Amino acid sequence: MTGAVLDIERLRLEIDGAAVVDGLSLSVRQGEIVALVGESGCGKSLSAFAVLRLLPDAVTLAGGRILLEGRDLASLDLAAMAAVRGRDASIIFQEPTASLDPLMPVGEQIAEALTAHGVVAPRVAMQRAREMLVSIGISDPDRRLTQYPFELSGGMCQRIMIAIALICGPRLLIADEPTTALDVTIQAQILHLIRELVTARSTAVLLITHDMGVVADMADRVVVMYAGRVAETASAEAIFKAPLHPYTALLLASIPHAALAPKSRLATIEGTVPRPSSHGVGCRFASRCPLVEDKCRKETPPLVNHGDGHEAACWRSHDVGMLGVPA
Amino acid sequence: MSQPVLSVENAAVHFRSRGGFLRKAGPALKAVDGVTLSVQPGETLGLVGESGCGKSTLANAILGLVPLVGGTITVAGREVRSDDAESLRAIRSDAQMVFQDPALSLNPRLSVGAAIGEPLQVRGLAKGAALRDRVAALLKAVGLEADHASRFPHAFSGGQRQRIVIARALALQPRLVICDEPVSALDVSVRAQILNLLVDLQRDTGMSYLFVSHDLSVVRHIADRVAVMYLGRIVEIATMAVLFGKPRHPYTQALLLAAPEPDPVRQRAKTRRILEGELPSASNLPPGCAFNTRCPIATEICRKDAPLLVARKDGAMVACHHAED
Repeated sequence: MTGAVLDIERLRLEIDGAAVVDGLSLSVRQGEIVALVGESGCGKSLSAFAVLRLLPDAVTLAGGRILLEGRDLASLDLAAMAAVRGRDASIIFQEPTASLDPLMPVGEQIAEALTAHGVVAPRVAMQRAREMLVSIGISDPDRRLTQYPFELSGGMCQRIMIAIALICGPRLLIADEPTTALDVTIQAQILHLIRELVTARSTAVLLITHDMGVVADMADRVVVMYAGRVAETASAEAIFKAPLHPYTALLLASIPHAALAPKSRLATIEGTVPRPSSHGVGCRFASRCPLVEDKCRKETPPLVNHGDGHEAACWRSHDVGMLGVPA
Repeated sequence: MSQPVLSVENAAVHFRSRGGFLRKAGPALKAVDGVTLSVQPGETLGLVGESGCGKSTLANAILGLVPLVGGTITVAGREVRSDDAESLRAIRSDAQMVFQDPALSLNPRLSVGAAIGEPLQVRGLAKGAALRDRVAALLKAVGLEADHASRFPHAFSGGQRQRIVIARALALQPRLVICDEPVSALDVSVRAQILNLLVDLQRDTGMSYLFVSHDLSVVRHIADRVAVMYLGRIVEIATMAVLFGKPRHPYTQALLLAAPEPDPVRQRAKTRRILEGELPSASNLPPGCAFNTRCPIATEICRKDAPLLVARKDGAMVACHHAED
């Protein structure tokens, strides 16, 4: 595919031989924001970490390719990977205060991203760090550069993280729940900032989130994961308007929103997500699906294209509308 | 009007950093400052605001967990006095609390049955077979099974644990349950189950909720009336329909605009007026209206005089010099 900055092909991640991510494929084009969504434990964050090879020791990369502008990151050695991180692809995390070094002024932390890759000399790096702060709308940049993380608010720390992530001009930004720890007015500021920066720089963004409001606000395309597999992928408009997987449909219907009558019953998904060690054949959502039939328990549904890049892995995609959700 | 289940009059909670040998005591942090509100029988009052606005401190003060420095709080006609253990014991049979993280609210070494039965047991309200029956009924009321009583919290999922916490809160048949971010730690599909449960329980028992949350979509779904807090004060109280339909305080308006809606068409059509700046420190409040440093319509008077919470024609109460009627 042309223009794809990131191409993940059939990624498989294992813990003790059990697949926690199983055959994930997705691509992110230049200037595109792709949201990877799902509930706790669906494998969305692990998939993001795998791209930068930041997986915890217990998780092994057991198969698949991770192509960053055609180069397979899955096959790089550690030194080559270190050169990629921060320069070609960057990540921002959920807890900005936990991601910054508490003992180093934030200006040095931003400048370090440049000097570590030998992009510029240390002196110039500090000047570039200052320019970066100005460009992300931080007032009083000279004072900020000398401050330590504990002197800054959560929202300010997340801005610093964004500055560090983007200062080398990476082609890909991975944002793992970047606003989950922030208040809603600060969340709006940070999302607005990310959108402006990536638009101006045509950065490809893989946005990991569980918040469908953030998805509706930010995403061009959406990939919904369930129990380590892709359940559905489509444009943001299509996924909210006409979901083709019962999991997506129920997930959306379980969110309270303005069009619902107050205190009316919200849709729920009964049961719990199956453990990776208990995955057998068939659809992994079968045990909780209201549309389940015999075939679902026996055969794994493939991702089927329903047109316009709207793909769903469900034997009964055409009946999802029957669930009567969403409005 | 019937007697309110909860009545808070001009309540204030201040925290002060303790001075030491070489350190002067810091300025008082006014976590809650002059808050007045009430909750009627069978009603849900939503209490919203961002971190540090004092909503959890107010919730704690209602149960006497932190002392007031001014004002009064009355639960079912009885004044809450944090220094009087006897009165607190009485109040806690009328008012109970459900916290955010169910994993932290349950003793890992106590079986679920023992945790739920404990309030009944310590008050001598039930024992033996009667206690077991009561625990079984409570478990069923929250959608669990009677035989779950012998298991321990680790055997349950996050959503099930929150059901256990709710069952324990219901044991004494309280008239008011304070829910402090009860669904914030849960995944959305589980969140819906707990919200449905809270609505059902209220319908069956007629109890009231004070529902503390930062999540406006959840509050809109469950609350009859909503109070918005900013830096220790209430800036607006109105019925759910009025507050979401015609928000008057600029902070309420900003909150509603900032909360992303799970609908790309509506969300992207919203006017983007992003609130600048961040919350000032509660120990160093700006003079006048506490919101004036971030307010898009602030004028001279806002930097001098703190606005009072004034009733409008449709019953909404708004604390703003410039809000429409």
